[in-house]
Amino acid sequence: MLRIIWVLWPSFLVAGVAEVIFFTVIDPQELYLFGEPMHLSKIATYSIGFLGFWAVCAGSSLLTCFLQRSAAEVNKGVGAGSSSEEGCGK
Amino acid sequence: MASASSRASAEGKPSFVEESLYEVHRKVHPRAVSGIFATWRWALVWFTQLVYYGLCWLPWNGRQAVLFDLVERKFYIFGMVFWPQDVIFLAILLIISAYSLFLFTAVGGRLWCGYACPQTVYTEIFTWIEQKIEGERNARIKLDAAPMSARKLWLRAAKYGSWILLALWTGFTFVGYFTPIKTVWNSVWSFSLGPWETFWMLFYSAFTYLFAGHMREQVCKHMCPYARFQGVMFDPDTLTITYDTERGEPRGARKKGIDPQSIAKGDCVDCGICVQVCPTGIDIRDGLQYECIGCAACIDACDQVMEKMDYPKGLIRYSTEHAIEKHWGWKEIIGHIVRPRVIIYATILAAICTAFVWGIATKATLRVDVIRDRATLAREVEGGLIENVYRLHVINVSEAPHRYAVSVAGLPGIDMVGDRIIEVPPAGSKSFTVQVRVPAESGKKGSNQIFFDVKSLADEKVAVHEKASFLQP
Repeated sequence: MLRIIWVLWPSFLVAGVAEVIFFTVIDPQELYLFGEPMHLSKIATYSIGFLGFWAVCAGSSLLTCFLQRSAAEVNKGVGAGSSSEEGCGK
Repeated sequence: MASASSRASAEGKPSFVEESLYEVHRKVHPRAVSGIFATWRWALVWFTQLVYYGLCWLPWNGRQAVLFDLVERKFYIFGMVFWPQDVIFLAILLIISAYSLFLFTAVGGRLWCGYACPQTVYTEIFTWIEQKIEGERNARIKLDAAPMSARKLWLRAAKYGSWILLALWTGFTFVGYFTPIKTVWNSVWSFSLGPWETFWMLFYSAFTYLFAGHMREQVCKHMCPYARFQGVMFDPDTLTITYDTERGEPRGARKKGIDPQSIAKGDCVDCGICVQVCPTGIDIRDGLQYECIGCAACIDACDQVMEKMDYPKGLIRYSTEHAIEKHWGWKEIIGHIVRPRVIIYATILAAICTAFVWGIATKATLRVDVIRDRATLAREVEGGLIENVYRLHVINVSEAPHRYAVSVAGLPGIDMVGDRIIEVPPAGSKSFTVQVRVPAESGKKGSNQIFFDVKSLADEKVAVHEKASFLQP
């Protein structure tokens, strides 16, 4: 649970900032989707944009969490077969 | 987190303590408290929530007074309309908020956290509902431990039901700041609310319910970035909620009215009420901790106990590190508010605020963008004239409709074909094409500077003098 929050919460905050900056500068109507102008409503574009930012940021947080595992935790997985309990930031 | 665990191990405590709070969380049941700071907190709850729940219903010039219209990409705040081009104001506003936070924190500690942060405010409201339905602290602890019964089921249903209703209203209000709230209101009752509006309403409601109902102090302790870095704005002259260790220790129980010195004890009667009222479940007597949100509930609680004991109030009080150390009174504490850190924060804040107000006051009510038509460049038309085509985008940022006169200047014999008078609705814009014609011998070959003048017919001061380039072949 703790790790899920560590991944989802900071990414939520950063996605919020990214959303505001991105859509202040860019009007959704100027966006193209696979070469076609977007047919989605603006509210839908903003919403999908936010969820997209969130997903990307969460991906980054997830990788950070994954890479922060200590050598001992990684090695433990090879021998004992369980390393998932100890997590992020240790 | 690494720092927290290493700090915990440095203090000789097992390092799993921090994690266990999040995973096997010990529920905090704050005891209700009354007193001067509780009154302040409630005043702030009323003020912030009247603004939040009420402002979106306020009409202004036939529209919603405060509306962040994302579809039209316009922000309405009372008489002002902000366009995406005004993003600088948003940036300045954020800087002002940040510096205000720095200044308040340097002077008064976590005033924001204790009194105004939405997390504190909603937790306060949700805890109040909980207390009204389930009873005081002891009743709640008993209810938690009791096996499920008809009464417990009923109390739980009533509590969660009330929380959900309030959360839904909060989510509905949130959406009402981005889509006109009356439209949202009607859509909700006719079940025609758009899918995304529905999504955001439920999303915000769910977060309110989760954060204020269930996570409470955990948000401050584990999720809030500000709680982690507020320490850098503290110095030994910052007002924080402080337990006077020298006066209080050694603590211990005793009968009412006994002089502490006669039993070789301090003033603290070790009743534990300061811990019971704490919304984050800490013991302020352990000293300043990052978990302390500065709500001052323990001050109110301790003062009441001191009063009952006939001891002077203020065993726990707003004080500074220096004041406790050097036994300062309020006069010295106030005298130490003015110090380099505070002066720097205040100066920067004052400068930015001035710039902000000046910027808003002198914000142009008319904007003109000139784009040269790149498809045609220059061409010869009847009468030996050379023609360039431009696209003018006139934005009326004001709240009234305006008629503007358009003219062109900058080259001998210059003239234009197209609308000379245009009308733009309030907070609207109009794009139109203008053909500018110049005699072939006028100006030099290549690019020549010309000017478009757009002037309001009603107010001469509302005018824009916009540069453009005219191409002579």
